[in-house]
Amino acid sequence: MTVVGPGLTAAAAVCAVAVVAALVVPRARRPLVAGTLTVAAGGLGTVAGIAAMLGQPWSARLPGVLPLSGVVLTVDPLSGVFLAVSGAVAAVAALYGIGYSRHGLDGRAVQAVFPVFVLSLLVVPAAGSIATFLAGWELMALTSLLLVIAEHRRRVEVASAGRWYAVMTHLGFVAILIGLLVLAAPAAGDSFAAVRGAATTLSPPAIGLALVLCLVGFGSKAGMVPLHAWLPRAHPEAPSHVSALMSAAMVNMGIYGIVRVGVDLSGGGPRWFWLAVLAAGCLSAVYGILQAVISTDLKRLLAYSTTENMGLVLVGVGAGGLFASIGRPVLAALALTAALLHVICHAAFKTLLFLAAGSVLHATGTRDLDALGGLRTSMPVTTAAFGLGALAASALPPGTAFVSEWVLLQALIHGLPSPGVAASLVLPVAVAAVALTAGLAVATFVKAFGVGFLARPRSDAAAGAAESPPSMLAAMALAGLACVGMATAPSLVLPVLGGVAGRLAGADSPVGGRLGVELVGVSGALSPALLVAALMVATVLVVAVPRLLITRRARRVARLWDCGGGPLSERMEYTATSFAEPLQRVFDDVLQPSQDIDVTHHRESAYLVASVAYRRRVPDRVERRLYDPVLAAAAAWGEAGRRLATGSVHRYLGYGFYTLCGMLTVLVLLR
Amino acid sequence: MNADQMNPALYVQLLNLFAGALLLTAVLVLWRRELSVIIRVFALQGAALGGLVAVLAAGQGSVELGALAAGVLVLRAGVLPAFLRRALAEAGDDRRETRPLVNVAASLLAAAVLTLLALAVSQPLVELAPSPAIRAVPIGIAVVLIGFFVLVTRRRALSQLVGFLLMDNGITAVGFLTTSGIGLVVEVGVALDVLLIVLVLQVLAGRMREMFGGTDLDELRELRD
Amino acid sequence: MTALGAWGGALQAVVIVAGSPLLLGLMRQVRARLEGRAGAGVVQPWRDLRKQLRKQAVTPRGTSEMFRVAPVLLVAMTLVVAVIAPFVTTSSVLPAVADLFVVVALLAHGTVVLALAGIDTGTAFGGMGASRETTILALVEPTALVAIFALSVRVGSTNLSAIVGSSLHDPARVLSPASLLAGVALAVVVVAETGRLPVDNPSTHLELTMVHEAMVLEYAGPDLALIELGSAMRLSVYLGLLANLFLPWGIATGAGVLSLLVGVAALVVKVALLGAALAFAEVFLAKVRLFRVPELLAGSFLLSILAVTSAYFLA
Repeated sequence: MTVVGPGLTAAAAVCAVAVVAALVVPRARRPLVAGTLTVAAGGLGTVAGIAAMLGQPWSARLPGVLPLSGVVLTVDPLSGVFLAVSGAVAAVAALYGIGYSRHGLDGRAVQAVFPVFVLSLLVVPAAGSIATFLAGWELMALTSLLLVIAEHRRRVEVASAGRWYAVMTHLGFVAILIGLLVLAAPAAGDSFAAVRGAATTLSPPAIGLALVLCLVGFGSKAGMVPLHAWLPRAHPEAPSHVSALMSAAMVNMGIYGIVRVGVDLSGGGPRWFWLAVLAAGCLSAVYGILQAVISTDLKRLLAYSTTENMGLVLVGVGAGGLFASIGRPVLAALALTAALLHVICHAAFKTLLFLAAGSVLHATGTRDLDALGGLRTSMPVTTAAFGLGALAASALPPGTAFVSEWVLLQALIHGLPSPGVAASLVLPVAVAAVALTAGLAVATFVKAFGVGFLARPRSDAAAGAAESPPSMLAAMALAGLACVGMATAPSLVLPVLGGVAGRLAGADSPVGGRLGVELVGVSGALSPALLVAALMVATVLVVAVPRLLITRRARRVARLWDCGGGPLSERMEYTATSFAEPLQRVFDDVLQPSQDIDVTHHRESAYLVASVAYRRRVPDRVERRLYDPVLAAAAAWGEAGRRLATGSVHRYLGYGFYTLCGMLTVLVLLR
Repeated sequence: MNADQMNPALYVQLLNLFAGALLLTAVLVLWRRELSVIIRVFALQGAALGGLVAVLAAGQGSVELGALAAGVLVLRAGVLPAFLRRALAEAGDDRRETRPLVNVAASLLAAAVLTLLALAVSQPLVELAPSPAIRAVPIGIAVVLIGFFVLVTRRRALSQLVGFLLMDNGITAVGFLTTSGIGLVVEVGVALDVLLIVLVLQVLAGRMREMFGGTDLDELRELRD
Repeated sequence: MTALGAWGGALQAVVIVAGSPLLLGLMRQVRARLEGRAGAGVVQPWRDLRKQLRKQAVTPRGTSEMFRVAPVLLVAMTLVVAVIAPFVTTSSVLPAVADLFVVVALLAHGTVVLALAGIDTGTAFGGMGASRETTILALVEPTALVAIFALSVRVGSTNLSAIVGSSLHDPARVLSPASLLAGVALAVVVVAETGRLPVDNPSTHLELTMVHEAMVLEYAGPDLALIELGSAMRLSVYLGLLANLFLPWGIATGAGVLSLLVGVAALVVKVALLGAALAFAEVFLAKVRLFRVPELLAGSFLLSILAVTSAYFLA
């Protein structure tokens, strides 16, 4: 008896009810009702996804829903992974949204669009034909756009962020559309089964074109550098539960698309494509974490961290495809398992981090790390949640990301020796890139947690913070539980993921083991649970032994050392900018910060300085080098086009007339 | 669909008659300058279009098409010209098209060229299915192009409206000629659209007159930015 | 877990906990003698620890639990590494945890904990020390991981016991270019991570030159004792890893009192020699400016990359 079909149908039904409820229920109860229904929908999606992962296939056809082709849904284990992740994140984010929406976000539009967004996140992995996939994709883009600009009346930057997001996501959509159409050209229909069967008849240039276009479109959604510019703009400006959903569930759809098209539909891509994916992944990982290290906006930091983590997933996917194309299926399965595991781990800790950041924003009204601090006393649960998330994200044992990065590094390390010079050059570089991102990730999250939550408040906003409402705390607790679970017991999901990846790569599951991670086919084992146990035992020993041996005196609370110069003020604390300044200096050539120094002199004399204003900005260099010329060219085109707009209505009508007649004449002549 | 419900020779002759009337009225709209005459000619064209559709209905023996013919007649020969006449009545004293952008001789020459273009463009269609109805398609396309030309070259808003309606007549004619009926829903929808456009443009022309004392569009150039 | 592993683990813990302050004392004594001083004696660090343990613990006003638990966590993590890594025996107590990545990352975690404690104090010194230490850590990680890569390419596994075991079986491999380059790179990593000259001066309290000391400035009494013990244990663990990865002779491969004793003695001798060599070098080196440290670390990164490529290409 399959659970997948009923689960998905029930989720869709509950989402529809949630939309109706959001439109009908009065404002006071609206977030609670709509939120609870969306939580239920997310939970149902998770159940369906887990059932699919465990091997229950399901497919359905709904001919009437979309014109011409109808809706085709096919759920296989790969879709199940992404369904489960989307459902779980949606449930947690919706629970959080119950408390978060109370001020300003309880309007009908926002509350009604959110369940539709969740539904689209469930439709995209379940899609079984190109038309369904694209319809779900566009629905996802539109609903997320509406949610991103939800607070546009409160802040000016939201509108600009929405514009960037809208343009880039639709350009990506066009790329995906063309790529999928090229792929489906020889197929008899547009269902995935038909496309899969006909992919062998495509010529290599056509497959290459389709794969590159799909990489561009899906990579942009996943936040791949250089198409990432919308991510650090849109994610901070969206409401926090929407940011969590976008960062932890929506960007995964880009990865899903690349794996589905590259590994499944096209029958395995050529080696150069997977090398390109690997290279893009390395670049995204390093660039993303570099921008995160020097960022002082808490949510922007988390958005760039998403780029970094998606870069690591792309490294795994690229390595998997590469190993598959050179004929080492066991390693390919291992690399794909690492990528899928990192998707799940990233979803867990990124949700937790964004929810905690949203809690801080809700309480203090600011996202600026330089103005936060001292939240430990006023917001203990949020501090603990962010601390857990920071540990999970920084790839330190016993953290969540450590396990997935360990598996990824094992896959890369066992990849040598490989045939081909390119592969044997790229793999060490990939290991170096992963290592660099690991080090910088540690620095980023030490900065974010330490400066943002510890010590004393740096501004009045932070001093006046209060803990968040219980629904938000409950959601953070759930996400934290997921992080801890993935960190200590990854063997709960790893064998299933290994099976999924193995099926994709044509090998057996590369991971096994009950208590920890045991690699099959290559030698390696890790037991995070044992590590946690060992740490706990060691901690107990360290606390107990001195206490037994030495009679302790009572602990005294004393003043901080201030060199005898009087009490320390909050201005003397290290800020996020100062914390990251040595690293920013090291990477000066890459980041190229711009500095403004404004000196105001006294009226009486130009030699006496009244005040100095200093401002330093670290722009996104990829944006400056890549996007500004494109935007300038587009603006120049527009300016040139203004010459056509003389103001005479007759001339405008004439343009249409002449074009029509001209085209008809050409048609006649060409026959 | 049996063309022998009616005498084939009569069928072809009536078809050609009404199609010719369509083209002639279109050229007349281009030729005459007084707005009241233009509106009357447009009403005649509506009648010709209704007649065309009625002939097609008789040829196919379709009652539905006959009902449509009646509807077209009422709309395009009755309702729309009535609206236009009311708008003209509000116009006051400027009842003549003054200084068209292209003078009358050149306009007529252009109409001839456009007719030839329409003939050339619809050649493959005629070769594909040489039936009397399809042979009349070039005329419909020519009416469209002439209507567009009127839209482009007239200064008065009312004249441009008539040009737009000419285009619509031509498109409707082509639609009825090439298919056995566009489908009631589509025809009704298009008719409603056209009605709406006419109403809107009428109100707009009235507003323009209030503000600027005339509806000569060329005088609105300075409002560009 | 085998009997050998269990015995080895217990022995290692005792030896390292007891011996690391002695190692520190030895290094200070070597420096003192070379600088023409009498020196305080090899046992002095233990005397310092005893003095500090008897004092009253002080918590600065305004700090949180992070400050109080950091010393405990630091020592606990280093203790775990001391128990599971192959110092005295090749088989580990917890083979599923004795992975080179785990060990390196766990030691880095210790640094992170201290850095957070430094930020938690809310003083400029604490933040400064944390900032500098985190910068060095971020730049040292790539070198460490790529050097591990170089060492494990030949062996086919990152398990510490496997790497040490393969070096025992094939001693000539130690002299291969890959091994030598990786060794030099790891030596720089050790110097950077343990805060020795030329990256950091462990005996300075000048604000321009402090890195590690700045983070722990506010600690006193038993907390400071734990931190000093932890730092000493980190140093001995790093030196022990360096010794056993490249010069594994003497390590116990079979259970038996004699082989265990030989293992302990070999560990003590190797770590003492390495420590003395380090102290000897420190006499002739000055601390490098903080913004020159990345150049040094970049150089070691290049060496580790060369180690990997030579491990593969010079088959």
